[in-house]
Formats: sequence, structure tokens, C-alpha cells
Amino acid sequence: MTFFAPFTIPFIIGSLVMFSVLLVKYILWIVRLPRIDKRLILHNIFTTKSLMAVWEIIRESLLHVRIFRINPVLGFMHASLAFGWFLLIVVGWIETIAYIGGEWVPLHGHVFFKYFMPINGITEHIWFFEQLMDALLLIVLMGVGLAWSKRLRSRLMGMRRTTKHILFDRIALTSLWFIFPARLIAESLTAAIYGGDGFLTGSIGTWLSETLPSNILLNLYEPSWWIYSSLLGIFFITLPFSRYMHIITEIPLIFLRRWKLKPTTERKSYDRFEVEACSRCGICIDPCQLQSDLGINDVQSVYFLRDRRYNMLTLKVANNCLMCGRCESKCPVGINLNTLRLNSRAKRRNIPYEGRYRYLRGMDRSSGEGRIGYFAGCMTSLTPGVQRSMESIFRAAGEEVWYADKEGGVCCGRPLMLTGETDAARKMVAYNTDLFRRHNITTLVTSCPICLRVFRESYHLDGIEILHHTEYIYRLIAEHRIDLRDDGRTFAYHDPCELGRGCGIYEEPRKILNHVGHLAEAKHNRRDAMCCGSSLANSVINDAQQLRIAQRMTEELEATGCDTIVTACPLCNKAISRVSTHVPQDVAEVVAKNILN
Amino acid sequence: MAKRVVIVGGGAAGMQTALELKSRGIEPIIIERDMDLGGKVRDWHKLFPSFTPASDVLQPIIDKVRSSRIRCLLGQEVKTFAEDGVILRSEEHVPADAVVIATGFSLFDAHRKQEYGYGLYHNVITSVDLERMMNNGRVMLADGTEPRRIAILHCVGSRDEKVCQKHCSKVCCITGVKQAIELKQMFPTADVFNFYMDIRMFGPGYEELYREAQQRYNIHFVRGRISEAAQTINDRIQIKAEDTLTGRPLRMSVDMLVLLVGMSANRDNEALAAASNLSLAPNGYFQTKDSFLGAVQSERPGIFYAGAATAPKSLADTLAEASMTASAVERYLRDKYNNR
Amino acid sequence: MRNLNFGYGISRPRVINLDNNDLRKSNAIIAEMPELQACIGCGSCTASCTAGNLTDFNFRRLHTAVRRGEYQGAYEEINKCMLCGKCRLVCPRGINTRELIMLIKRKLGDF
Repeated sequence: MTFFAPFTIPFIIGSLVMFSVLLVKYILWIVRLPRIDKRLILHNIFTTKSLMAVWEIIRESLLHVRIFRINPVLGFMHASLAFGWFLLIVVGWIETIAYIGGEWVPLHGHVFFKYFMPINGITEHIWFFEQLMDALLLIVLMGVGLAWSKRLRSRLMGMRRTTKHILFDRIALTSLWFIFPARLIAESLTAAIYGGDGFLTGSIGTWLSETLPSNILLNLYEPSWWIYSSLLGIFFITLPFSRYMHIITEIPLIFLRRWKLKPTTERKSYDRFEVEACSRCGICIDPCQLQSDLGINDVQSVYFLRDRRYNMLTLKVANNCLMCGRCESKCPVGINLNTLRLNSRAKRRNIPYEGRYRYLRGMDRSSGEGRIGYFAGCMTSLTPGVQRSMESIFRAAGEEVWYADKEGGVCCGRPLMLTGETDAARKMVAYNTDLFRRHNITTLVTSCPICLRVFRESYHLDGIEILHHTEYIYRLIAEHRIDLRDDGRTFAYHDPCELGRGCGIYEEPRKILNHVGHLAEAKHNRRDAMCCGSSLANSVINDAQQLRIAQRMTEELEATGCDTIVTACPLCNKAISRVSTHVPQDVAEVVAKNILN
Repeated sequence: MAKRVVIVGGGAAGMQTALELKSRGIEPIIIERDMDLGGKVRDWHKLFPSFTPASDVLQPIIDKVRSSRIRCLLGQEVKTFAEDGVILRSEEHVPADAVVIATGFSLFDAHRKQEYGYGLYHNVITSVDLERMMNNGRVMLADGTEPRRIAILHCVGSRDEKVCQKHCSKVCCITGVKQAIELKQMFPTADVFNFYMDIRMFGPGYEELYREAQQRYNIHFVRGRISEAAQTINDRIQIKAEDTLTGRPLRMSVDMLVLLVGMSANRDNEALAAASNLSLAPNGYFQTKDSFLGAVQSERPGIFYAGAATAPKSLADTLAEASMTASAVERYLRDKYNNR
Repeated sequence: MRNLNFGYGISRPRVINLDNNDLRKSNAIIAEMPELQACIGCGSCTASCTAGNLTDFNFRRLHTAVRRGEYQGAYEEINKCMLCGKCRLVCPRGINTRELIMLIKRKLGDF
């Protein structure tokens, strides 16, 4: 058996192109990885991490468990397409073996098996495989149907917005939409002419043979297989250049991630795996407040990754992001959206001359002495209530404190990093690290979540414990070093992005507030909490737009009917005080007002 | 039978409008939220630019309202305005032939500018606190001593988009000059610094008073807005500003910081306007029919405005406007009932 | 270093000559950020400035000079800024000062 027919040529060309492009891409990206990443791969490749990766691939690339959790209908759509198609291929192989034993069969022989076997109805049909393959085809077709309706009405799928696509995507998308209907038609026509038992293709085939004259059936037969093969060919050729690249790229990405590779503030070829693993599902659009509050529709992560992938990223798109992390926490592929956004901004980071920030040399404006260091942060000087409260808490706890920036300190460097000036930021990092070391502190408490995050992520402060003031205060309470009175108020707590999604601190502020009064939760809280809009990460939106975001966010807090709105970030505090009838308080202020000792 | 007009607000604007209507043979009813008449001026000590004691102006008005037996519903709040009367919070309908809205303004809450430390530091006070202190007979620091160095900050809660108060409150500049002079009169050896963005001296005698403050009282005017205030160990207040005329940052310690708080639209204007089919200007005040011939009329016939309900105004402007409102109401009632 | 000491006028007696100054860059900056024209020169940005607290950096003067077409030394000067964003938080006119800094840098030389 030769397993050849002219109509298979488009498929053969398509799959050859696809596999070679994929191979070239992946090899290039791996080769270009920085040495440290390559070492990580070698170190982890023969460990259980690789097995974990296989398990994750089954869960995520085939079953799409994470999408299921966010949106069951969308999950079913993805799973039926991915897992269904996968099973079609696997069962197709088994079917081939069942018919002709272990004999070697070329790829197209498997794919177009119904054309080649059973040979013009001479061989017996195997009833079990007929039904199974039809069932699988039906599942895939249901996924296709859902995809069609998603295009028509995204709300049906529980999504307010769906992604706008580029030309390549449209070609690939269109071919994908019709691959399985075309297969259904081709197999049904085959069944109509040569017979078949499948409950789907067989029944349609019987119906066709009864309604259409046999000469028309015979004339449609070959073209239908041509169409099926061509659609597959087109899809395969466009795949590496379209969003469908994610289908395959997720697999190496999962391995690399399990081997501990991750993106950094500097671009590297690893980023390509993440960028091209984006399926453009558009789940990131709905949580974006720039979309829901301001109607900005072209900057969300899906568009950012698309623009970056096709080298059409503008500064305006890269910079127009709050980096609140709401989309990142929902991304079913787990792409590090914020880090990629950050290193896209890094074009301007090397300010040429060395003398920049020379004025920092030898400067020390700190005061006091103690093992505990307190770094209020630049913004905190605009919320002096926080600073004073921390001072009285330190006093109540009998703590000796060294104040890093009471008389004005040096910025932590994160604002520079957020604009892509990572090299310049290093000077701040070096300055502050040296300052902390020189004063021999063992604990560093900060009131600014922005500072906290950069201290934890980009500073090397081994031997110094880094705490946000809410963590520190909670510890004091737990150790009974301060006692609080219950003042009976109801608090609504706003999770600052950098503290919550940024540093994973959700519970300490809540536990503290529960000591002083009751907690009322806003509709969106913890991982879902809204951004206040004042984020330093966004340099594009104007004052009125920031205000609108703050308004929407504050409305939710006020809707709880609380007595006091509480937050733990000076920027959020300022944003809320712009719009609220309540004067917001910081967790530290609430605590300081209710200390008994 | 005399026509009846409901006046919402028993401050200077409401009372004066009531008196003007009464003298035109129209029967006014005043509805006031507080338990007393007088409104915001009650807290004031002396008035710019003449240093007339506020009570010399307010008391005669209150006395006259009482002696003319004008009906006053005190401790009552209004929910809806209409041309045939108002509905109170208590759902009671007070019928009338016309309504005058004289609900005035709110003071900007200085707590919202946390960087100035109001409510945090002992000796940061607002211009209203200062007037109250003067009314109580003694201005002093929290520890009972006299201030030797005082800073007065203009535009707190005015012309500030960061607290959604884009408008100029109009009266703070001249109040700042007046209070600087008063402080200087009380404490001749003290240094007084006014920090300003622009000085707006629009009224008669204002510019002259400004000049007097500079020349006769040696009050220092620094062009720059204070950005932060911090309390020092000895309870003084360290302020930071830019001296924009020399282009250099300025830092100084003072014993007392006076915040000239601006005039904000009342928070409940929004609900009232929505319930009564009236519209608000972007700054939250009630929108008048037009700025020239309809400056005391609302967009609905039979509903009128008086005083600072439509924009920040000085007491002099408010009292003058009361007669305008009264004549507009009179004209409206005459047209309405003669045409019948 | 002397010529980097932008601003303090004693060593630079020349007038701002708007007949001669090339305002193209200035106009381009204003075109991208029209709200800059709303500046009333209150000095809040400079007064609250983290860098200005540590060294002679005056953001208000700097962007005013740039608007007038006085670019000399401005780029070096603006690189003293740490981009902490306090100035944006205090600006009573709601100017996006932090982006303004980056905008000036872009127009006057960066990348």
C-alpha cells in the first residue's frame, strides 16, 4: 500500500513547513538563551521536574484546567478542540494499527485513513473504531461550534470583550473553523459511496446516498478530500506565524518553566516562548480597568504581546499599563505579563553618562539608631499620618529604630525600573543597600508597597528581614507586644496592587483590622482587588483618567457601608482621598489610634 | 392673601432675602437645617476689608427676622424643591408660590490634604479655626503660648485638581490678608508669611488692604505653594515650598500654620438637584439660568437662588444678591398671578 | 561640571530671546502634552521633589526654560530626577509631570 493520492500534497507541504519553522524557531531561542538559563536546563532536565512538566502539559495544554476554572464554557471550548483533536490523532494511529498491524504508514496515511482504508469497502469496517472516531469528531465539532458563537456573541461565553485579530490569525482561524466540518463532509461522502457504520459519518453518508444521485456524489468525493487537505495545509503553514503557535509553544514553555527559567527585567530569547505561547484568548481584557473604566481597547496584555511579537510595539502601548497584575492573575497560560511589559520598556535604560546621580555619593540623611530600620518611602512624606503612627507604634513596642529617610531619602529605584531605566535604578539600589548595611540593621520595615516589592525582588539584602509595616504590626500583635482596643468600627480594606498581587500580602492587614473592629469586604478583594489608578507604572493616562479609576474603585469600597476606608499604601490613600467622602486611613493609623499600652 | 415663598437656608443669604421679600409684601418661610439662624458667618470674627465685627452685620439681620415674625422651621432638612413648595426629609410638604435656594456652601475639609498635617499636628489650624479663636478672645498655640512665627497658606482646597476643587474660592486671598494683619496686630513682634500661588484682590478696598499688609504690617508674601508640613521635636511645624521668585526650594519652621480653606459645593447638592430636576455646574454648585440676566434664576421657573449656593461669594456680594433675588421673585409672582 | 550647573543664572546673563530661540522642540513637547500649558508655576513639584531635596534640581524652572526654547544643559539636568512621581501627586493642575520628564528626555536626546 502506497498511501498516496494527489490531494495529500497540500497537507504534506503544510506539515513540512510547519515542522521546519517550529524546529528553527525553538532551536534558535534555546541557543540564544543566556548561559545561566542553559545551566538551569542542564541542571533540571533529568529530575522529577520534567515529569511534573508532562503532567502539567496534560492538564493545561490538553484539558485546559485553568481556563475551566475561570470560565467553564470557555474551558470546554478549548478542551474539546485541543484534547479532542489530540485524541483523534492518537486513536487514528491505534485504528491504523488495528487495521493493518505494525506496518509503517506515512503521516498522511494516518490523517486521511478513511480515504485509504477500508479500501473501497473491500476490507471490513471495525465498528468500534468507527464509532469512537465519530464521537471524537463530534466533540471537536462542538468546540468549533462554540468558537463560532464566541465570535458572534462573546457574552455567551461570559466574556464582555473578545480579541481583535491580525490577518495571519484570520486566515488560520478561518481554516481551523472549517477543517473539521470539511473532514465531516469528506468522510460522510466516503461513507455514502463506500459505506460506513459510524453513527455520524455513516448516518450522514446514508442520508446523502439516498438524496443525491451517485454521479454527483462521485464528482464531489475527490474535491472534498482536496478541501480537507488544503485547509489542513493552510492551517499548518500559518500556524507558526499566527496565534495558533501557542498550541505547540506551550509545551516547551511548560518544560522551561518547570526547569526554573523565568523572564527578567532584561529581554532574552526565553521571552519568545512566553510571547508566542499567548493564545490571544482575551481573558486579560475584561479585568483591565483601562478597558472597563476608561474604554481604552488597544493596550491590554493580549494586544501588547501581539504587537511585541510582530515588532509593532509602540512606546505608548508598552507604557499604557497600570501593571496592577489583575490580568496576570487570570492568564490561563501563566505568562509573566508584567515582567514582559517591563522589559519592553527597557529600551531607554542606558542613559549614557556616568555622572548620573553622582550627587548621591557620601550622602546620609538618616537618623536614630537601632536594629530595626524604617524606610517610609517618598510618597509617605505626603501622608505624614502614616509616618507618625509608625513612630508611636515603635514607641509602644519599645523598639529602637533607625530612620532611613525621615529627612528625605533616596528613592528605592522601582519607579525608574517601571519606566525601563533599569541601569539607572541600579544606582539607587546600590546606594540604599550600602546605607542599610552601614547601619547594621537586621530588619527593614517600609510603609510603601512599591519600595517593599523592589527590596524583595531586586535588592540583595541577605541577613536583613524585609517587612511591610502591616506584617511588622501583625507580628507585634501576635507577640503581645502591643495591645489594641476594639473601637467597634467597620472597615473596608483596599488591597494595594503592589502589596497584594505584588507581594502576596492579603491577610495581615485584615487580621490587624479584625483586632480593632469588623471587616467589610468590597466586591473585588484580595487577588481580584481593583487598582486605584495612581500606579507609577502607567505614564500615559492623564489626571482625569486616573481620577475615574479611583472613583470606580472607591465606589465599591463605599458600597460596603463601612465607617472607614483603610488601605496600606500612600498612593492608594491619596487616590481615595481625592474622591471619597471618607478620609481614608492607613492600617498603621488605625492601629496607632487604638493602642492600649 | 399674601403670596408665600419658601427660603431654604437660614444664613445671611436666606435671611436677607426673607427680609427683602417681607418688605415687598410677600410672606417668606425660612427652613434651616441647624437649630439657629445665621449660617457660616456666625463663626466669623471680623469682616474684610473693613474689619467690621461680623456680629455687627449678622445680629441686626437676625433681630429683624425675629421682629418681623418671619416663620422659621429650624432643624429641618429639605429633600426636594418644586415651584409649588418643598418636601422635607420628614416627607412633609411645605406649599409655596415660589422657592429660593439659599443653601450656601461647605468648608473644604482640610483633613483631605494630609500633607499639611491638619488634625495631626497641634498647631496647624484652618482660617475658620482662627476666626473662632478670635471670637473666643484668645489666639494661642496648643501649649498656651504666643506664636512668634506664623505661616498662612492660600488655596487649600481651591484651584486644586487633586481634591477635585478646580474653582477659585474668591474670598480666601483677602481673608488671608485680613487674618495676617489681625495676627500682626495681636502679635506685633511675630513674623507672618503668606504663601500664595496668585493673589486675587478683586473687590473694593482689597488691593489697598493688601498693600497695607505689605507696607504697614511688614507681612511677607512668598510666591509658592507649600507642599509638605512636618512636626519637629519641639512641636514646631517645618514647611517646604519653592520660593518661585528666586527659583529655589524654601524650608522654614513656624509656630503656627493657618490653612485658608476654600469653599466647596455642598455634598448633598447632587441628590437635591437630581430629585428636583435642577442641574449643577461642573464644580458642584447649582447652575444658574445664565450669568447675566438670569444670575439668580434656576432653569425651572419659580425656583430661585441666593448667595453662595451658586458660586463662592463674599458676604457683601451675598447680601447684595439677596435683593436681586427678592425682586426676581416679586416679578415672577406678579407675572404669574396677574396673567391669570 | 560648571556648564552642567543649569539654571542658576549668575553665570548666564543672557536674555531669553524668543526671536532667536528654536522653539520647535518646545512646541513638539507641548503638542504631545497640552496640559503643560496649564502650569501656574506654584512650585509644588519642586518643593516636594525627592531629588531636589538632595541636590540643586529645580523641575519647575527646568520645564519652564525648556518651554521657552532654552535647552542647553537641560538634558543633563533632568537626569538628576529619580522619577519617584511625587510631583505628579501634588500638582494642583493635574499635569502628568512624570511623563513630562520622560517626554523632555525623549525630545532632547534619549534614544
